[in-house]
Amino acid sequence: MIQLFHVSKYYERRAALSDINLQITKGEFVLLMGPSGAGKTTLLKLLFCAEPPDEGQILVQNRNVARLRPSDIPYLRRTMGVVFQDFRLLPKKNVFSNVALPLLVQGASAFEIRRKVTEALKAVGVDHRKDSRPATLSAGEQQRVCIARAIVNSPIILLADEPTGNMDPELAGEIIELFKTINARGTMVMVATHNRQVVDQVNRRVVTLNQGKLISDEGAGQ
Amino acid sequence: MRLVTYLVREAFTNIRINRTTTLIAMATTAFTLACFGVFLLLYLNLRGVVSSLQEDIQVIVYLNDGLSPQNVSDLQQRLNTEQGIASLTYVSKEQALADFRAQFPSELHLLQGLGENPLPASFVVTLGPQFRSSESVKRWAERVKGVPGVAQVQYSREWIENLATVIGYIELAAIAVGAILSAASVTIIASVIRLTVYARRDEIEIMQLIGATGAFIKIPYLLEGAVLGALGGALSLALLKGGFELFKLQLGAPGRLLGIDSGFSFFPGHISLLMVVAGLLLGFTGSFVSLLEFGRAKS
Repeated sequence: MIQLFHVSKYYERRAALSDINLQITKGEFVLLMGPSGAGKTTLLKLLFCAEPPDEGQILVQNRNVARLRPSDIPYLRRTMGVVFQDFRLLPKKNVFSNVALPLLVQGASAFEIRRKVTEALKAVGVDHRKDSRPATLSAGEQQRVCIARAIVNSPIILLADEPTGNMDPELAGEIIELFKTINARGTMVMVATHNRQVVDQVNRRVVTLNQGKLISDEGAGQ
Repeated sequence: MRLVTYLVREAFTNIRINRTTTLIAMATTAFTLACFGVFLLLYLNLRGVVSSLQEDIQVIVYLNDGLSPQNVSDLQQRLNTEQGIASLTYVSKEQALADFRAQFPSELHLLQGLGENPLPASFVVTLGPQFRSSESVKRWAERVKGVPGVAQVQYSREWIENLATVIGYIELAAIAVGAILSAASVTIIASVIRLTVYARRDEIEIMQLIGATGAFIKIPYLLEGAVLGALGGALSLALLKGGFELFKLQLGAPGRLLGIDSGFSFFPGHISLLMVVAGLLLGFTGSFVSLLEFGRAKS
């Protein structure tokens, strides 16, 4: 599903990622651990083609992302869902419209959009806020909306960058439970976090990065 | 269909939300197009005036004194064989004197002391449209001058030719000003759209991350630019029409007396439509340029 071969990424000659080799199979739940600046976000960015690697090869669903034409990138992204720490919701659109966007860009019918958005909102427990603007929601609700947007088109891969950052432990626990449920439905989930509590709660494969290097890969195959 | 509705709705939502920038862009486009429109209006009206003046061009063929009626008749037949004559009217010496008396009653003293009627008989010739150019009239006059019985051939083209030259310069100026103002318009709209794009760069990035194609992201901005441009074009027309009516009002009674006011006309329907379409294209181009720059900056 995801394969990285000797991948490196540099920012102003400083290695953000250095010689990373990693294989993740379908349906896995992977926690990407490491302190701030370890390279977690960079790795996720490379996976969803926000940036190209400087060295090495990345295969996502057997497609070499370094060789993708810019016009092909949107189509690869449609098979992924991405959750951000800062939610990145469109402030001028209500919850329903925010979650509907991935379906809309794919040209889904109005009926399909209504059905899938309602399902996704119910799955994350914010269907009662579908007409609200993001600014009127709590942080937990906004993150749930962000997750609903990421799963609405049934992605094969779900990437989350510090989804529980700035959340209290109880709320963080709820969000992680949501990811576990999504993973149980067959979606490969990769969550970048520096929160040890999340690791304990998930108890799955943990890939640890430090200063751009992969220093451990524990629990593969769980 | 839903996609198209979404893209169009997005464009109009952008316009509504960014009301201030929309108004600035629209007003700037309107003023820019109005400046160009003034030149165009001037040019079209002056061209109309020259064209109507050219229709009135008459060549007067003065005859030698003492020609018998038979000679006059022969001469008329001879002139009728000339190419390019639309109409030919004989004005006898007596008729010429009567016309002079009717037109200049206060100048009759000029004729006193000259004894008999000093005015010559003449043929008043109107040339066909294809023979009204400076060169054609000149050639025609040269040829007719040599015909026996013809004393002189007179035509007053010079000032009309001068006017045509001036209009040629105005036409050039209108093209130059139009080109400069169009470039300014594109730059202004591009800047406004660039500001909008910059203000919404996070939104654009989110759209990219959820798998929106370049076209899906760009179309609302292109539509927004086109709508702004078209509205600017329509507003410029309104400004020009207002200014035009004010100008005619200022001309007032003196203008009516001189018959000037009836000579002026506003843009015909198709030119008005062209102004709106020009605004639309300028707006579209402005958006396109700014999105190209944004794409380059991002890559």
